[in-house]
Amino acid sequence: MRLAERGIPFVVAIVAIAVGYGLSAGLDGYFVYLGMSAVVAGISLLGLGVVTGSAGMISLCQLTFGAVGAWTVSALNEAQAPGGFLTWLVLGGLAAGVVGVLVGLPALRLRGINLAVVTLGLAAAADLALVQLQFPGVSAGISVERPEAFSDDRSYFQLAVVVLVLCCLAVYFLRRGRWGSAWQAVAFSERGTAAAGTSVRTSKLTAFAVSATLGGISGGLLTGQVGIAFPASFTAIQSLALYVLAIMSGAHLIDMAVFGAVLWVGVPELLKRWGIPQDWGFVVFGVLGVQALASGGNLGTTVRQVWYRRSKKEPAKLDLAAKTADIESKAPGPPVLTVRGLSVSFGHVAALSSVDISVPEHGVLGVIGPNGAGKSTLVDAISGFLPNAEGAVELGGRPLTGSPSNRARAGLRRTFQQDRVPPGLTVGAYLKFLARRRLTADEIGDALDFFGCPAARTPLSQVDVGARRLVEVVGHLLARPRVLLLDEPAAGLPHEEHVAFGERLRQVPARFGVSVLLIEHDLDLVRSVCDTITVLDFGRVLASGPQAEVLADPAVLKAYMGETEML
Amino acid sequence: MLQGALAGLAAGGLYAVLAVCLTLMSRLVRVVNFAQSATGMFGCYVAVFLSVDLGLPMWLATVAGIVLGGLLSALLGWIVSTWLAEADTGTRSAVTVAVLLLLISLSFILFGNKPQPFHPILDGPAVTVGGVVISQVTVVTVALAVLVAVASRIVLSRTPAGVQLRALSERPTTAELLGIPAKRLSVAVWAVTGVVSTLVISIVAPSQSNDATSLAMLVVPAAAAALLGGFRRLDLAVAGGLGLGLIQGAAAQVDGLSVVRYFLPFAVIVALLLWSQRKEVWDAAR
Repeated sequence: MRLAERGIPFVVAIVAIAVGYGLSAGLDGYFVYLGMSAVVAGISLLGLGVVTGSAGMISLCQLTFGAVGAWTVSALNEAQAPGGFLTWLVLGGLAAGVVGVLVGLPALRLRGINLAVVTLGLAAAADLALVQLQFPGVSAGISVERPEAFSDDRSYFQLAVVVLVLCCLAVYFLRRGRWGSAWQAVAFSERGTAAAGTSVRTSKLTAFAVSATLGGISGGLLTGQVGIAFPASFTAIQSLALYVLAIMSGAHLIDMAVFGAVLWVGVPELLKRWGIPQDWGFVVFGVLGVQALASGGNLGTTVRQVWYRRSKKEPAKLDLAAKTADIESKAPGPPVLTVRGLSVSFGHVAALSSVDISVPEHGVLGVIGPNGAGKSTLVDAISGFLPNAEGAVELGGRPLTGSPSNRARAGLRRTFQQDRVPPGLTVGAYLKFLARRRLTADEIGDALDFFGCPAARTPLSQVDVGARRLVEVVGHLLARPRVLLLDEPAAGLPHEEHVAFGERLRQVPARFGVSVLLIEHDLDLVRSVCDTITVLDFGRVLASGPQAEVLADPAVLKAYMGETEML
Repeated sequence: MLQGALAGLAAGGLYAVLAVCLTLMSRLVRVVNFAQSATGMFGCYVAVFLSVDLGLPMWLATVAGIVLGGLLSALLGWIVSTWLAEADTGTRSAVTVAVLLLLISLSFILFGNKPQPFHPILDGPAVTVGGVVISQVTVVTVALAVLVAVASRIVLSRTPAGVQLRALSERPTTAELLGIPAKRLSVAVWAVTGVVSTLVISIVAPSQSNDATSLAMLVVPAAAAALLGGFRRLDLAVAGGLGLGLIQGAAAQVDGLSVVRYFLPFAVIVALLLWSQRKEVWDAAR
């Protein structure tokens, strides 16, 4: 089964190459030339799909990266560097990738559309500079030599198809791997990504570098196609159009990138045949791009949605009905997470003032308190999302400092009250992403079954919100951290399932070797799970200790339940 | 060198006005409008068409162009605030990228891709100080930049509409619950910035390289200037625009720097981003 699944992309690749061969043999010479242009555009779009579709950024200089590739190939050709065209092509891609990293570095840490501003700036500047400088060897009329075996148009088209297929395979496997999961995650939520121990900057940078590399390869391939590269092939406007085409077609889906490339070449060609100015092509792209953005969809996802609707899939739900096997619980040990004197203030508002908390090894500590008591702020501060927090946090006797991703890697994980689960991944891919280690299928299956979550193959977009948040919990548990901070994990579940969830949560320390800090409003759940409880009120610790003592404390009753209500 | 720098000041004033528009848009309607200068370009081109081909008087054609620029911008604003009211800045700005492409291509179709036969609205030197000439265009654009920034400041802090706008930009949901007409105000902001950018481009375009692409890409140096104020502060946006114009003008005088000059706005953007990156910023408040 797994083997067959792994084989499918290769089978598709072989079929694609065969189709390419058929087209090169059967088509008219003119169409073969157009086909080459489409393949070149396809590689570019594939790259844009990674950065705009998977990672959710705006990149407006894809053809500038193409120009870098073309420049490298032209320069190496002029210098008659060893290795020949194919080596130069790879080098051109790598050069573009390096430029991509350099350009992306300043823009990627900050949120917002800085990348759009930087890339448009680069595209505009490169546009003007290229016209003035021209490509190497152009003034001397040195044209780039195609490899000997692929010197005529038909065979060069075949070569181009092979390169495209290789790029598609590379993107396919990258997207299924750690990088790809990180791209999806970072596009959906930066905080969620950092909480999984993955650097937000690195994730964005890898996406941008991969995109630039593909742009470079595309530019190099174009140089081989036309012989002499001209700046007119790499203008800023064409980069804009390519970007709009990528979002409109949904180029993060490989088939749509190829389809977009067909549009890229086909629309102007049709306009030419009908005697309409070719600039109308970009006007049409512009209108369709606005339409796609305004409706929040694109061609690829629309087609796929129709497909899904046909197969009539219900959203996957939790199934917590099954009894769990009993497991001997371990006695809580010495504190594994200690927090001393933690203070956080937002302006003049003290959200937390010198809070002390300790989570025992193999224990479940409940943190309760009325709304606004500072519970979520506590989780944010411990997990490193509030760099201005004062106080000391120790994990397993060592000070826990640094960025959220560092803390996550050091063995402190957290979940969020909000839905931060990227809908673009499958349950299994998301678990692997969160766990940051090799997981066997059995390991995944057991953990999912234990919490009654949908099967690993299910896309997260088909999972209801309550279940999604439990998948998040499972993923963090599979990461085997020392401590997991859970911020109202049961909030999305129907009340009847709280008890069943509580039973499972109680077994977590023994089953997964993870100590838990649980923030929860449902006192029944807290009572059934937590041995020790800390109560927060107005950012201070009101009471702390064994469950029975704390819940009987009159001050706690007053703060938490109001004066008249009794537990 | 000084003459060169001062010659660059006219462009600097243009950058500054556009930067103020970008800053206002980013603050008030959560969008970085990549079509800011393209709308202005399109309005100007229509004005040229009206005066040259239809023989309308210059002033009338220019006014018509400016009105059209405002209307175009308002239409775009209406689209964004109708269908993307809840969307994030990225998606809203991506729409303007598509519009930028659309406007450039449309102007190629309607007016060709050559520079337009602009009639200068303002011509000749305003003052000559110690052998250095300062043109009327320079004086007017720089004054306009300062004027627009000061006026926006006053409108935002002193008038009821301005206070509503600020409420809308800082707490959109709360503002709407208070009964502030969000859509009408947003479209008004779009319209005003459209009018202002068409106006300033009408003034400067005759003395600049004025093909459609160059004019539409003026948004790049303007964004560099706006970035100096972090897309929030109007005074720094004006200073950034003027400064960038001066440096570019001076660099144009040095022969060896001609290619480097093209990369100046880009370099400024990169430098400012590196500087503002010192602090960690997250995508959501919590």
